[in-house]
Amino acid sequence: MAKPVVIVVGADKGGVGKTTVARTLLDYFSANNIASRAFDTESPRGTLKRFHPDLTEIVDMTATSDQMKIFDTLNSVNPSVTVIDVRAGLLSPSLAALRDIGFLDAAKGGQITFAVFHILGPSIASLDEIAETANFMQGAKYFLVKNFINNTSFFEWDQATYNSYFHRIKDATELTIPKLNEMAYEQVEVASVPFLKFVANKGMKDEAANYSFVLRGYVRHWLANVWSEFDRIKLTDLVGSGKSGARGGEK
Amino acid sequence: MSRTPVYIICSPRPLVGKTLIARLLGEFLLLKNGTVAAFDINLKEPSLLEYLPGITETAEVDDTFGKMALMDRLIVNDAIAKVIDLGFHAFDEFFKMSEEIGFMKEAARRGVSPVILFVADTDRASAGGYAMLQQQIPATALVTIENEYVVRGELPSTMSDGRILRIAALPVFLKTYIDRLTFSFTDYLRHEKDSSTELHQWIRKNYFSFRELELNLILQRS
Repeated sequence: MAKPVVIVVGADKGGVGKTTVARTLLDYFSANNIASRAFDTESPRGTLKRFHPDLTEIVDMTATSDQMKIFDTLNSVNPSVTVIDVRAGLLSPSLAALRDIGFLDAAKGGQITFAVFHILGPSIASLDEIAETANFMQGAKYFLVKNFINNTSFFEWDQATYNSYFHRIKDATELTIPKLNEMAYEQVEVASVPFLKFVANKGMKDEAANYSFVLRGYVRHWLANVWSEFDRIKLTDLVGSGKSGARGGEK
Repeated sequence: MSRTPVYIICSPRPLVGKTLIARLLGEFLLLKNGTVAAFDINLKEPSLLEYLPGITETAEVDDTFGKMALMDRLIVNDAIAKVIDLGFHAFDEFFKMSEEIGFMKEAARRGVSPVILFVADTDRASAGGYAMLQQQIPATALVTIENEYVVRGELPSTMSDGRILRIAALPVFLKTYIDRLTFSFTDYLRHEKDSSTELHQWIRKNYFSFRELELNLILQRS
């Protein structure tokens, strides 16, 4: 049986695009025929669940019963990839909890593939999280995600500051999520469907929809750019599939 | 089902004759098909809307609302030919957006045939614009307009490889005549008894060129 894969998407700051990145990951796995499931920690009402209701379960990461629901089932369920969208402010506590239950040791020992997508905000305080989070990253693949979807800048204008944060952790891999046209983003929000279905002009139940061709074009272009970043970091290899070739969603 | 042609008349340069060609083509399609939809994205130059208000609506590509309003109409295979008079100021933005949203591919899939009518000039901006279009537009859908009034017989060599549609220069007094807002090419053909006049022949020659262009489109598809 394939080694279970757990991908945590999080940040200690709100509004930096955690759920957006989690959505693109689920779309990416879907397009690459990799079975996945997701947990949304925005209890009791999850945003991720709104877009991927069939794959997503809402959990409370601080509750032991829900921790068991996620981690005790890693080896027993069919989807080998588990994506956890961690609520704002819960990244560090969640990683601490994972350490306490021995999950991080299992990842270090190679029994589980563990990756963290750390979505960065624009403030120095947000960047300080990197150092804090890095303490938990032994045995994990650590991705620093610069999310430009909300026009953030990351001190590129000050190279010294930029380097002091982004080059602090040598094993971290930088990832860039480009900006998506605001109206296109809003329209997908209103439609409450995965990006892939929006591009394919379909509703949640695969019924024909009537989204703007222009907005679908923007989303398709943007999603292709995001996925090329996932291809660059060899995400399919990481999850043990290794087949990022022709994808249904890119037709 | 037949395919719907979308003619995009463009140039990164002002005052090269885009609106004149859009008027000619609009009137030709109206005469031939009885219907045509024209879009004026050229409000900073002589405006198609002023010449053909009955078939023309304004459009813009400055913001996403404008792009949606325009492109969501252009992508429909409704058997109504479309003519777009694309102003020089909107040239870069239109084709950047078109590339980004995959307009050409989606059009092909939906039975829409975009034809880019690039009005040539001899300057650097035109050379750059044409090179960009060559990258983006299939050669079969890219037509260079050689407006003799603008290029004076010196069409740049880079633009002379593909399909070319020539528009002969008219004497100044005739140009002034056809530039009147009330002038209609088709009305002139209908009402002018003497078919040997220079203007009569000029209009008929241009209409014939458009008909050839249409036939080529049909041949390409078959």
